[in-house]
Amino acid sequence: MAITERADDYTRRKESLKELDDGELHEEFWKLVNQVVDPMVEEARTHTTPSIERSLLLRMGFDSSESGRLVKRMEELNLLGHGAGHLVLKLARTKGFRVREAGLALLNGRHWDELV
Amino acid sequence: MKLHPDKKLDIELVLADLDLYRPRRKGWFWRRPVKDQQIGPFTYYDTTENLKKSIPLPAAAYFGGIDPQCDYVITTEIASGRFEDDLRRMRMAAWHGADHIMVIRTTGQSHIDGLIEGTPEGIGGIPVTRKQIRASRKALDAIEDEVGRPINFHSYVSGLAGPEMAVLFNEEGVNGAHQDPQYNVLYRNINMHRSFVDAAEAKSVMAAGGILQLDGAHNANATAKEAWKVTPELFVQHAVNCAFSLAVGMTKELIALSTVPPTAPPAPKMRLDLPYAIALRELFLGFPMRAQQNTRYMESDTQEAIVTHVLDTLISRLAGADIQSTITPDEGRNIPWHYNNIAAVNTTRQTLMGLDGLSEILEVREDDSMRRQVRELKERAVLFLQEILEQGGYYAAVEAGQFVDSGYYPERRGDGISRRVDGGDGAGSVTPREADYGAPVCGHFGNNRYAQGDGKPCDEYGGCTLCDPSKIVYIDELDPADSVNERLKVPLEERRQGIVRPEVERHGDGVVCVTLFIPEQPEVAEAAALEMVRHMNLSDPQVISRRIMHPAEGSLFEIKGVLDMPIRTDLLPKSKDEELLSNEEIEAWVRPRNIHLVAATVGEDEHSVGIHEILDIKHGGIERYGFHCHFLGTSVSIERLIEKVVELDADGVLISTIVTHSDVHKGHMRHLHRLAVERGLREELLLVAGGAQVSDQLARECGLDAGFGRGARGQEVANFLVRKLCQRDSLR
Repeated sequence: MAITERADDYTRRKESLKELDDGELHEEFWKLVNQVVDPMVEEARTHTTPSIERSLLLRMGFDSSESGRLVKRMEELNLLGHGAGHLVLKLARTKGFRVREAGLALLNGRHWDELV
Repeated sequence: MKLHPDKKLDIELVLADLDLYRPRRKGWFWRRPVKDQQIGPFTYYDTTENLKKSIPLPAAAYFGGIDPQCDYVITTEIASGRFEDDLRRMRMAAWHGADHIMVIRTTGQSHIDGLIEGTPEGIGGIPVTRKQIRASRKALDAIEDEVGRPINFHSYVSGLAGPEMAVLFNEEGVNGAHQDPQYNVLYRNINMHRSFVDAAEAKSVMAAGGILQLDGAHNANATAKEAWKVTPELFVQHAVNCAFSLAVGMTKELIALSTVPPTAPPAPKMRLDLPYAIALRELFLGFPMRAQQNTRYMESDTQEAIVTHVLDTLISRLAGADIQSTITPDEGRNIPWHYNNIAAVNTTRQTLMGLDGLSEILEVREDDSMRRQVRELKERAVLFLQEILEQGGYYAAVEAGQFVDSGYYPERRGDGISRRVDGGDGAGSVTPREADYGAPVCGHFGNNRYAQGDGKPCDEYGGCTLCDPSKIVYIDELDPADSVNERLKVPLEERRQGIVRPEVERHGDGVVCVTLFIPEQPEVAEAAALEMVRHMNLSDPQVISRRIMHPAEGSLFEIKGVLDMPIRTDLLPKSKDEELLSNEEIEAWVRPRNIHLVAATVGEDEHSVGIHEILDIKHGGIERYGFHCHFLGTSVSIERLIEKVVELDADGVLISTIVTHSDVHKGHMRHLHRLAVERGLREELLLVAGGAQVSDQLARECGLDAGFGRGARGQEVANFLVRKLCQRDSLR
């Protein structure tokens, strides 16, 4: 709900907190904060993004340009939810390639049909 | 790469073999405290290990040249747009006590969905690329060896490429970074789902590299119209980032709050800002504090800014901090000039050294009024959190405009920053992980088929780049036309030719600043000032500061302009002003050596004040170093002087010659030289003259070794004698 102008009603609102001593007020503060961030942490645990996937490929020994092209193509093919690094490693495994070889083969347009 | 204090940083050496350069360490470095440290004449309570090389504060000359180092890490922010120039600025800042170098990113990098490579030029900062980071880290490694203290290198893990930037920073030994998804959402309008999902991965990678995180809450201070009213929300912004960071695996010691005292005089700053600082530290006990200096109310007057920053630093000392970030006093008028980085660092260390041990003699009064203010701030923050949850969570609250409203919460003005949950850059780019989702690397957050059981997720293929840096692929340049090599052509050539120009930001930019007071009404005065600067041959003059002293009596202007005047250093007249030996060095050399000097005012001349100033111990004269001075009095003949030299086997003669009618002073000097030659004494005897009309050049023309004019001090004379005697000894 869009927030519009409102007078300072702190004196009224703070009534709900008056029973709390300082320590309890701190606990209340952090309890509410955790309630705010919990759903976002959960979302992060179960979702991914192109930047995350590119960062995985960087860590697997690809440069920024290679990572960018691989992830873009995987996105177009709706494959990103499996994990870009996982797809490359799986291909390497099945073909007996090194990880870098597998990625370069994909960059050369080969083996995309075998990824899923 | 080894640096020499008397040589410039060799940029070509920095750029050589960068593809092979590896950082020597990862993670953040805190200064090492030394309890009750004796430095020079004083005992310090809040200092850390001394530097090997530094430039002390000016007043240190009166205390034996000491340069105590405070217990806070000192930050300087650098933003010229050319990293090759920034490196020199970093070196200067390190010599003045900075050990946290924060490199600002070029405008717009947040919106680039991926990494940039090479060394393109930036605006208001550099494009952060692997090459620029690696070159900077390499230079900083050499600089930290030179000054004798590790230097933290810092930039930004924000924008659309946060996780990749975090990997880059981890791989390249970057020690600190800003990371706060709220910054993306509120100030960069990057989609909120994307920002938070990316942030979890980025933070996880940062944690794996021991990178200290700063949050982005201070931006609300800089944005809000009345910055002190946004304080309850700042607690919430800090807390959201802290709690999210802890949840994704960062440890508390690496989660620093970026906090700014929100006001500036003439606001009653201490009364407003101190309760806020105390409340913050109570709520966030155990998290490191990066105290920033205020930028919100900076105008073009650098002196005003410096005073505000001194008070900010006082608040840090009273409330506690771990990092003191500095703001250049010219930030209110231009992209910071390099010497202003140094000015800001010096403001801060000067303040902190002056406040050393403050807690031993002073504490903040914890009376009812203070506790009431502290409590109120915390309560307002709790109420703010309640409303976020009532709105349906963080995303909904942002969309409703709950953040960066200028009302003092719960007061609302309805002018908050509102972002759409499904809008912004990168909207729709977040994908659910499938059941088989896998990420075979270290530093990953969330569901991952490779994170089961023992061992590392990257074991199967021999390790990721965080475990095996040899796998990092280095890209040098993508656009040679927009690269450091292209930019360096002119500067390197000029340096080879010994050409020098003034500068404030980049090599030879020619910018100079002129200060003029014009005794006229402001408008007339300004036009006149600009006209005068044009006559000084400065092109493109611009007024960067104007201060009215009185509406009718006059105004003070600072005007910058470009002086297009290359100077060949090899054609400059040679300066005789060599660096003076210190008092201690002079005394250490003189005292054991039994050196005799004969002195007198010569001719028909009764003046003796000047020569007493040079000789007498009670006037700070050269006797204090251990010279045996034999003053023969006034109106002494040259012959008598020379007899005394023979009698004492003296090492030198000091004559004073004040009277100058008919050039009699020149006659005395020439006579002294000739007689010494005739008596076979000259080679072993130093001859020095002093007097109001004597100059070094004149004395040498008359055959003497040196001359000292009006205002000369004993230390200068002693410096000359010691250097000459040293030289003579070494030739024996």
